[in-house]
Amino acid sequence: MDKKIKPQKKKDLNRTAYFFILPFVITFLVFSVYPVVRTLYLSFTDYKGFGVPDLTWLDNYARVFKDKFFWRALFNTVRIWGVNIVLQLGLAFLLTIVFSDIKYKVRGLSIYRALFYLPNLIAATSVAFLFKTLLDWKYGTVNQMLVGSGLMNSATNWLGSTVTAPLVVAVISAWMWFGNSFIMLMAGVQGINKDYFEAAAIDGAGRWKVFAKITVPLLKPILLYVTITSLIGGLQMFDIPFLMCGGTIGNPSGSTQTVVMYLYKFGFETNQVGFASAIAYALFMIILVLSVLQFKWMNKKEK
Amino acid sequence: MRARKISAMLMAGAMVLSLTACGGGTDKTTEAAKTEEPAATEVKTEATTEAKTKEAAEEETDAEGNKIAVAGNQDAEQKLVIWTLSNDLKQFAGHYCENHPDVQIETVVIAPADYPTKVQAAMRGRQAEPDIIVGEPQMLETMYEAGYFEDLNQEPYNAQDYADQEVDYAWQIGQDADGIQRAITYQITPAGVFYRRDIAEKVFGTSDPEEIGKLFADYDTIKTTGQTLKDAGYKIFASEGEMNYWAGDSAWVVDGKLNVDQDRKDYMDLCVYLYQNDMTAYVDAWSTTWYNAMAGEIPVIDADTSVWDDAAMAEAEKSGNTTEVFAYGLPTWGTLVMRDNVKDLSGQWGVCSGPSYGFGGGTYIGISALSENKDLAWDFLKSTTLDADTLNWWVDVSEGDVVSFLPVLEQHKDDENQVYGGEKLYDFFLKQAEGIDTSRITKYDEPLKKAWGEAITAIKTGTMDEESAISNFYDVVESTYPELTVER
Repeated sequence: MDKKIKPQKKKDLNRTAYFFILPFVITFLVFSVYPVVRTLYLSFTDYKGFGVPDLTWLDNYARVFKDKFFWRALFNTVRIWGVNIVLQLGLAFLLTIVFSDIKYKVRGLSIYRALFYLPNLIAATSVAFLFKTLLDWKYGTVNQMLVGSGLMNSATNWLGSTVTAPLVVAVISAWMWFGNSFIMLMAGVQGINKDYFEAAAIDGAGRWKVFAKITVPLLKPILLYVTITSLIGGLQMFDIPFLMCGGTIGNPSGSTQTVVMYLYKFGFETNQVGFASAIAYALFMIILVLSVLQFKWMNKKEK
Repeated sequence: MRARKISAMLMAGAMVLSLTACGGGTDKTTEAAKTEEPAATEVKTEATTEAKTKEAAEEETDAEGNKIAVAGNQDAEQKLVIWTLSNDLKQFAGHYCENHPDVQIETVVIAPADYPTKVQAAMRGRQAEPDIIVGEPQMLETMYEAGYFEDLNQEPYNAQDYADQEVDYAWQIGQDADGIQRAITYQITPAGVFYRRDIAEKVFGTSDPEEIGKLFADYDTIKTTGQTLKDAGYKIFASEGEMNYWAGDSAWVVDGKLNVDQDRKDYMDLCVYLYQNDMTAYVDAWSTTWYNAMAGEIPVIDADTSVWDDAAMAEAEKSGNTTEVFAYGLPTWGTLVMRDNVKDLSGQWGVCSGPSYGFGGGTYIGISALSENKDLAWDFLKSTTLDADTLNWWVDVSEGDVVSFLPVLEQHKDDENQVYGGEKLYDFFLKQAEGIDTSRITKYDEPLKKAWGEAITAIKTGTMDEESAISNFYDVVESTYPELTVER
């Protein structure tokens, strides 16, 4: 008899646990799974935002892959993200080296950490407005200073050239996010056992050797995390270029039009919800593939 | 084990996707998701709320940032819900409740960028609220097709009986493709050229609107006018897009075919010419400097000016390195935008006709097909758009909004607007309204206008030559609307 009761009690306990996770499961189903499945369904239809959607199966996907402007938007996004990640990680790395060096012993790390993270706390709308005003061609402070101090002969139309406009967006993104990367890398460095550094110092390893042979290899998991989240976020870039470069057009000449801006144009400006959903899924597939590749590449190097 | 692994991966995939599907912060941007046109609505909104709103009762903002105002008695028997784009209807609601103590009206003001999505969600959810919905001309065709609006020609409304009391073009915009009245407006929005009388007097020897209108009679004349003003040290416009209300002489889409008429190409040519020949102040419409230029001088910084040196700046001012803007192209509600920005130049502005007949914006009010208070909604709609007392009150309160109800327009024909040197603006705008051709409006207008603007920007800044910019425009149209035929 005793034997029978015991497992039953255990079972009951398990069932109670399900009630505890129920709020999460319901929220997850309603706000994450449903939209994801619904978007997938809509991507197979010609849904125009009202009325009953007709199934068109893969037509939207065929249109996405044939659409040169989709590929241009993807190219723009990757280009902006590429410049951004180099600057962002480069700066974060440099700061990490300076702040983690035993010999420099920089004081007030927490204050610097807060300062570097500050740009990330400002709303993107404010950042966009601020930089748009600063970089105005004829009336902006940046040009006034550059021309006034003789560094430049004539005012540069920062947001009006296909070369500088994407660059500006990349630099602003890097400025907003380097503090975040810095905190991650710093945490990673602080997690490395001090013994390694001491042993290296005793063995007479130089600063560069320590960095290349100890810090970087041991930081790999953090680096992977930072680059993957940055890639996912970067390919979804929207707010800064949308607000600074003339809405979904991505002025000048579409050079700052990102994939999500392109998606927004169809989903909300021309009411082609089905096509917009297909773009969302195409972007998802691309992010998935790139993330897997990145993961594989990082792990391979470790071997 | 395997199943667990797979399900874990699926969950992870779903999470990544939900990030993708949400898109980087779309809701964050709605606030600023206004390009030039919606910005105009916003401006208009602000301009008119400045006007005394004693009637508009307690106002609060909901979680999504929509402004909600409740007018009338808390325990009123009847309740009406309005979803609108501009603050005007809040004032109309307050006024209505004053005269109808047994009615309470809740007015929700929604940003233009969110409006279509919100109405659509309510209609698809078959909600009985809102009772009253509105639309701007470019949204209406889609809303008519979706069946959101009640047929106002049927009993008991019989809207067609009022047809001859409304300005023609505004009445027609309220009709669907079958000519059934679906929405009615209280205002007309023809465009005019707003110009500086003092500069006109100095440069052209006259400030008479008839005479100045001749200087804007067609694109070629505008180029000459720009040159004359440049020689005299002025800029004809602040931004080169000021003539956009008069761009194009036919519809963008005719019988499913993209239609780029000669007039649109001439307009493109004009924008590029003004820009490349240094005739504008190089500012964007609705930017701070654009507003500042309404009140007088704005600086022009060039390579030789050291802005940190007071003496050099003073020198620059003397040598003409500040400039003044001669004209703006704006619809009727521009009179209110200007009034709030001209400062000391009040009375020094005038309004004349442009190269053709254009208009911009306008709020069209209809009854939701799903409303359960249709009688009350109709009474409110009638009182707001077709009632002389209400509209006379509105002319007073808005300090210059141009109504669409002909009897009231006639009454105010001789009103003089002192900001514009005592010009009779109601009379002027009524005449402009008579020339407007509504058959040109299509649901494709906004995106196509945007893409054409992009082509113009590419040419004027030299990133593309004209041929490739236009060819790129055709590519964009084909990609955006596969259903349209594009003949190159």
